[in-house]
Amino acid sequence: MGNDSREWPDDGCSRVPNWIYTDPDIFARESDRIFGASDWLYVCLEAEIPKPGDFKRSQLGSREVVAVRDTDGAINVLVNRCAHRSMQVCTASRGSIKEFVCPYHQWTYDLGGNLLGVPFRRGYRGQGGMPADFRPEEHGLQRLVVTRRNGVVFASFGAPNESLETYLGDRMLGYFDRVFNGRDLVVLGYMRQRIPSNWKLMFENIKDPYHASLLHVFLVTFGLFRLDQKSSVEMDETGRHAVLVSRRGAQETNEATAQMRAFKPGFTLRDPRLLEPVREFPGDATVVLQTTWPNLIVQQQSNTLAMRQIVPLDAHSFDLAWTFFGYADDTPEMRQRRLRQANLMGPAGLVSLDDSEAMLLSQAGIDGNDDKVCVVEMGGRAVANEQHMVTETAIRGFYQHYRAVMDL
Amino acid sequence: MVAVARGLDVTLELRARLDDLYCAYDDALNDGELERWPELFTDACVYKVMPRENHEQGLPIGLIYCESRDMLVDRVVALRETALYAPRIVRRITSAACVRAIESDGLRVTANFALFQTMPDRPSELFLCGRYQDRIVDDGGMLRFAERLCIYDSTIVPVSLVYPI
Repeated sequence: MGNDSREWPDDGCSRVPNWIYTDPDIFARESDRIFGASDWLYVCLEAEIPKPGDFKRSQLGSREVVAVRDTDGAINVLVNRCAHRSMQVCTASRGSIKEFVCPYHQWTYDLGGNLLGVPFRRGYRGQGGMPADFRPEEHGLQRLVVTRRNGVVFASFGAPNESLETYLGDRMLGYFDRVFNGRDLVVLGYMRQRIPSNWKLMFENIKDPYHASLLHVFLVTFGLFRLDQKSSVEMDETGRHAVLVSRRGAQETNEATAQMRAFKPGFTLRDPRLLEPVREFPGDATVVLQTTWPNLIVQQQSNTLAMRQIVPLDAHSFDLAWTFFGYADDTPEMRQRRLRQANLMGPAGLVSLDDSEAMLLSQAGIDGNDDKVCVVEMGGRAVANEQHMVTETAIRGFYQHYRAVMDL
Repeated sequence: MVAVARGLDVTLELRARLDDLYCAYDDALNDGELERWPELFTDACVYKVMPRENHEQGLPIGLIYCESRDMLVDRVVALRETALYAPRIVRRITSAACVRAIESDGLRVTANFALFQTMPDRPSELFLCGRYQDRIVDDGGMLRFAERLCIYDSTIVPVSLVYPI
């Protein structure tokens, strides 16, 4: 650590020091311990690379990888770095190939990352070439451990000591399987935004139901997510993963909405098709936002479904990469509904626009104030599941795990 | 300025009317007169904003996806009354439009755009650039957009897209 005075300001997680959002040494430690260790990182959907040879580039922390469908149907996740001189091997963002050829010296790898060929390995007319003891099998592309569940691909740089299922825990796995229940997925498209704030603020945002009733006029007015509705905040045993769950309510003035400046009883849509959701999941929850440590948010808000992948760039910026999807057996009406409701989400989303702008302002307030702390004690100071939204418990859960991993 | 693809018969009068439409569009958004923006579309218009990668792969999702003039109006009202965002100026420079085809359901016209964003106390910077793909019809004596597809080149939007393209 560059600064020895870095000490967590309390013995719990109800105070979060500002330097974790600014310090490059902290960011470097996060890259190693959170994004480069043995956690399961979200990579892509299987539907993005359906056929052998199909590949897609992705970023896990600050490392770039390529996910590729092998000839036997398996999915390999390879670090996009030639074993020779560290050049990027794969330059297209997606496509289909038979083998990877490094553009620099044409070292060639198969879809599993095994080194197949080195030009002039034996030299030319008895001159040059690699040493006789050069062993191609020791110079493949770095290959990650991969696991899949119902169409979603995860990978790990280390040797995970638990399966994805154990990693998520029973409760989170239940919510995961609610959206990914084995139905074939269809990618509807991508959005991506670069946000000049620390990546952890994105997670905090989606673990914080308290702000949603105050900031988001759209959610509040139309009852899509509001604290007078039956809701819950739930976590796994460690606190690292969480869900916000809620049920849609009416556009009515009541004891709660009367306190919300964001509630606009007279605001109506001229074209109400934007908000005509249809129930499609079991149970009565209409919105489940699931945050999976350390780089994934699964969004189910009404009928709009998306993977939001967090790509940290440095202490002060991250990319948020959205992959919108539906199911292969969706009716045309459902497909259209998903496209329409996507107006709420993404970089121009009528709801999520507020969040990206809020994160910008958060970081602006944090910068230059390393000696200050954020107060995270709405709903108490403990980490516990709650059946209401007036709480920051899931942010505390996140930092409980973060402190342990980061040794802070 | 309007150009015409070789072999198409477009009168000077129609070119002038197209010029007026494109100019009115740029003015409405450059001047921050968002309320004038929906008036340039037909009732049943389609307005979409998407990255080039979606368009090239035939993926339908749009950052903005409006299927009627009413949805455009709803978005304007939402931006005016509900959304939180830092103040900014977005100025677009639109290239000469080119009439590519004349079909029974309207003129197919394309143009290139560059959007420059100026945030408070920051230098101006290029925000997004790309291409408009339009279908334009005569709607009761007024030329209007029946379809405007805004395809931006980068995969990445800097922070957020507040105003329409």
